[in-house]
Amino acid sequence: MNIVRGQLQDVFRDVFSDPALVLNDGMTAEDIEGWDSITHINLIIAIEKRMGVKFATAEISRLKEDSSSVGDLVELVAGKLKSSK
Amino acid sequence: MSLASLQFLTALLIVATAFPYLPGLRWRQATLAICNAGFVYLLIPNGASWLALGAFLASGYLTYLLLRKWPSRILLSIYLFLLVTTFLIIRKYEIVTMYLPESTLALAVSIVGLSYMLFRQIQFLVDAFEDQIDQASWWGYLNYQLNLFTLLSGPIQRYQDFQEQWNRLDIVLDDRHALRMAYFRLLMGLIKMTIIATLFQSIYQRSAEALSLPAGSAAQLAPISAIGHFFSVFYSYPLYLYLNFSGYCDIVIAGALLVGLILPENFDRPYLARNVIDYWTRWHRTLGFWIRDYLFLPLYKTIAERWPKRAESLAFLCYFFAFFVAGIWHGPTLNFVIYGLLQAVGVSAAKLWERHLLKRRGRVGLKEYLQSPKIRASAIAGTLHFECFSLLFFPADVPTTLHMLRTVWRSVI
Repeated sequence: MNIVRGQLQDVFRDVFSDPALVLNDGMTAEDIEGWDSITHINLIIAIEKRMGVKFATAEISRLKEDSSSVGDLVELVAGKLKSSK
Repeated sequence: MSLASLQFLTALLIVATAFPYLPGLRWRQATLAICNAGFVYLLIPNGASWLALGAFLASGYLTYLLLRKWPSRILLSIYLFLLVTTFLIIRKYEIVTMYLPESTLALAVSIVGLSYMLFRQIQFLVDAFEDQIDQASWWGYLNYQLNLFTLLSGPIQRYQDFQEQWNRLDIVLDDRHALRMAYFRLLMGLIKMTIIATLFQSIYQRSAEALSLPAGSAAQLAPISAIGHFFSVFYSYPLYLYLNFSGYCDIVIAGALLVGLILPENFDRPYLARNVIDYWTRWHRTLGFWIRDYLFLPLYKTIAERWPKRAESLAFLCYFFAFFVAGIWHGPTLNFVIYGLLQAVGVSAAKLWERHLLKRRGRVGLKEYLQSPKIRASAIAGTLHFECFSLLFFPADVPTTLHMLRTVWRSVI
């Protein structure tokens, strides 16, 4: 999980142009400046490219919900990487 | 049958009272299924409509089974194309009816809640194709599509959420306070829908009629009277629409809770939104989210993957496309297209303004701007008036709305 979190943090820093951004599992879109629908898709595309995973429409949507956190994203990506091995 | 009718409320209270005493899941599912079937029976007017509804439901489930066996994008695309075309024919959209013979159009097919059923069907099949739905039974699918609490006007619930609840049908109101609050919400919904909304509707109708008089008699309206009627139309219709629709949602959400179903919320104080983007996360939320997830996001994602450098600018095209569809989904006439396009203009303006502020003030400056109470109050007032203006085009056709505006103009000038 920590490796996945670290890789995602690099992607977040690129997409949000914030080299000081530190991710923690409890963070939501509210906690990160500029996390709107467009940035959300840019983030998804960047994660797909960097981590070699693919998200379904329903997953992209759920990750945008108010109750969704960075922890949910980490868990989802880790699950996808595990099942692809 | 209206949800505010005595028959519906009596039936709901009987079922809600009996529900906790029903022995097990099968009895509960059977009871709700009978209620769903009875509700649909009262709303479908003729044999042709029954046939069309049957074909709509059966084709959706058959396509689901085929997609599970052969997850083919071509199959999904062909089915969705046929589905949307059939919807446009049944709802008599000119874009397709102009190519059809009179005999086809003479068929009196009418399916209540078809627009909502269409969006649920698309969501169900896209999610099934992308392997986001566990085994869906015909029984569960039918009750999902014909669920009496969401049949007429939403909220648009995901199949996965419905399935999870349908397969348990637990008592979700597990203490007296929660139960009282559900009945209180039901009562508030009834009051909003039948008393307060009706009051604003009558105010709107009286003023709209006064402004819709033929051109010759318009001169009889004194300027002050014309302005009064204009503001009455301008504010009372949005109030009516909100109270009527949110009252309806209060009734169905509370009613569903009484029988173990949790529906998504559809409203979150929409007239306190600070811009049009914010507004669409508060007004008819499940429609806004559906449009975002199944139209805007896939379209923008495709564009951003192919033309990453031009994606930011092309996002505005996606806004216009998504809101154009949202507009015509409400009905086949030009006024709904105008309403949708006005929303796209509002969303684009909000996005451009945010980008401008970010460029000029940076992230810290933007945060300060957003936190200012004065700016927040002005933004809320501006958004409210923009939405009131957009809704001028919602209840009447374009010539009628323009005639009303001309009447006010002629009386004042």
